[in-house]
Amino acid sequence: MTGVNVIEARGLKKDRVSSFLLKRSPILDDLSLTVREGETYGLLGPNGAGKTTTVKILVGLIKPDSGDALVLGQKAGEPEALKQIGFLPENPYFYSHLTGYEFLEFIGQLFALKKKELKERMAELLELVGMTADANQPMRKYSKGMLQRLGIAQSLINNPKVIFWDEPMSGLDPIGRRDVRKILERLKSEGKTIFFNSHLLPDVSDVCDRVGVLVKGKLVAEDSIKDIERGGGYKDLEEYFLTKVGG
Amino acid sequence: MVSSVINPVIAIAINTFRETVRDRVLYAFFVFACSITVLGILLGSLSVGQDIRIIEDLGLTVIAIIGGIISVFAGTNLVYKELERRTIYVIFTKPVSSWQFITGKYLGLVMCIFVVVLAMGVFLLGLIWMVDPTHHMQLHIGSIIASLALVFLELLFVLALATFFSTFSTPIMSVIFTLSLWFIGHLGGSLLDLSKMSSNPAAQQLLTALYWCLPDLAQLTRVRSVLMYGKEPSQEIIIFMLAYVFAFIFFLLGLASLVNERREFP
Ligand SMILES: Nc1ncnc2c1ncn2[C@@H]1O[C@H](COP(=O)(O)OP(=O)(O)OP(=O)(O)O)[C@@H](O)[C@H]1O
Ligand SMILES: [Mg+2]
Repeated sequence: MTGVNVIEARGLKKDRVSSFLLKRSPILDDLSLTVREGETYGLLGPNGAGKTTTVKILVGLIKPDSGDALVLGQKAGEPEALKQIGFLPENPYFYSHLTGYEFLEFIGQLFALKKKELKERMAELLELVGMTADANQPMRKYSKGMLQRLGIAQSLINNPKVIFWDEPMSGLDPIGRRDVRKILERLKSEGKTIFFNSHLLPDVSDVCDRVGVLVKGKLVAEDSIKDIERGGGYKDLEEYFLTKVGG
Repeated sequence: MVSSVINPVIAIAINTFRETVRDRVLYAFFVFACSITVLGILLGSLSVGQDIRIIEDLGLTVIAIIGGIISVFAGTNLVYKELERRTIYVIFTKPVSSWQFITGKYLGLVMCIFVVVLAMGVFLLGLIWMVDPTHHMQLHIGSIIASLALVFLELLFVLALATFFSTFSTPIMSVIFTLSLWFIGHLGGSLLDLSKMSSNPAAQQLLTALYWCLPDLAQLTRVRSVLMYGKEPSQEIIIFMLAYVFAFIFFLLGLASLVNERREFP
């Protein structure tokens, strides 16, 4: 692991403004974290803790009210940063009348990839996520898990250096989860920096180097998996998580 | 590199075109338009005898109205649909700038409207050919194509309006805004007349200023009436009209890109 900081969040704050009396309450409260090059980081936390919000800030979909978010030394959401990241959103999404193949092609064209390179990359990725056989079906006929697989494929189309996955295992069957774990292992071995959210703690402890626990917008704990499982006196990641969350 | 700027625009345009053209609603509209025209002809031939001019006018009006409806609804749903289906998350986390997105979406719809107008135009020509016992198509074809081009030009403008509003308001509000401005566009000239009639200089200035801000489609109407009498409009009028409409489209799309750039997608 080299020492370069690939993802850097400093003092991120984001408020939610209620439509009633415009009352403000924090979604993220002074969140700081860094992920180094080649590291796999898992952001954990109960529902509504602000994990998705954090990822959305890091990929530039929303702007923090204050604080800085840097990816590969660029401000989050800048085109130079976006060229080198892959993002899988939380929920499946689709175009009703496009096939999976057309969708993947479309995403590749947004990166202005060369035709031949794109074709090869698409074939490889469809194979990787096990969607080759269904690629010519319209997306509205896909199941949740199939959309999720396609989502994983689109997030890798540009061979990104940094990967942001929001709950990559959700909606997948056990085979799918195993596949995703395998893909993660492979991406790790290729030296990618990976940032992901998940509620599936056994999977997280299998693939992550380090985890952070987010509760009500605050980072309450951050440790390496090694420390947690060996020196921390916790039975497993679940016990650690429950202790930190206070559940 | 030019291709890295253009490719995303083309990709978004093709994607939008596919999504819109494969929607069944479009075919429903098309069938509806064709049936109305045929019905009109059937009724018309009972009363007036087979007057080609009436069929022509009716057909062109139906094309303009149906094309307008499709433009307004497809345009105003443009950004909303992507938000609703969360596809926007995938697009805006790719190196795609706001103007590329807006331009691509707009061009995709333009392609779609082009196909719609073309298909309905061919249908109309076919009808006229069947009804005209002499089958002298060359008498009609020129004026019909010119009129169709005019309808298409107006729809380009309507699409730009709808695209603009769709970047910051809900579909329903966008429909209302677009229809209002479209309507005002055809009244625009009367604002100027009104200002000339007014004796109050402040009111005069206000009305004139308003006139310059709002679109004015009177040129289109003028050219249309010239065509109706089977004459050719002068070149200056055509050039002026094209310049005016395209300037307005550029202005609207530019504004839409600016609005969209500041937008967050929670
Ligand atoms: N679009 C939105 N508008 C207003 N508030 C929002 C919006 N999206 C999220 N929030 C609020 O922000 C908080 C954090 O939401 P977020 O989606 O980041 O949680 P999460 O940690 O990803 O939860 P989960 O595990 O359920 O995915 C929640 O309390 C939620 O109510
Ligand atoms: Mg979430």
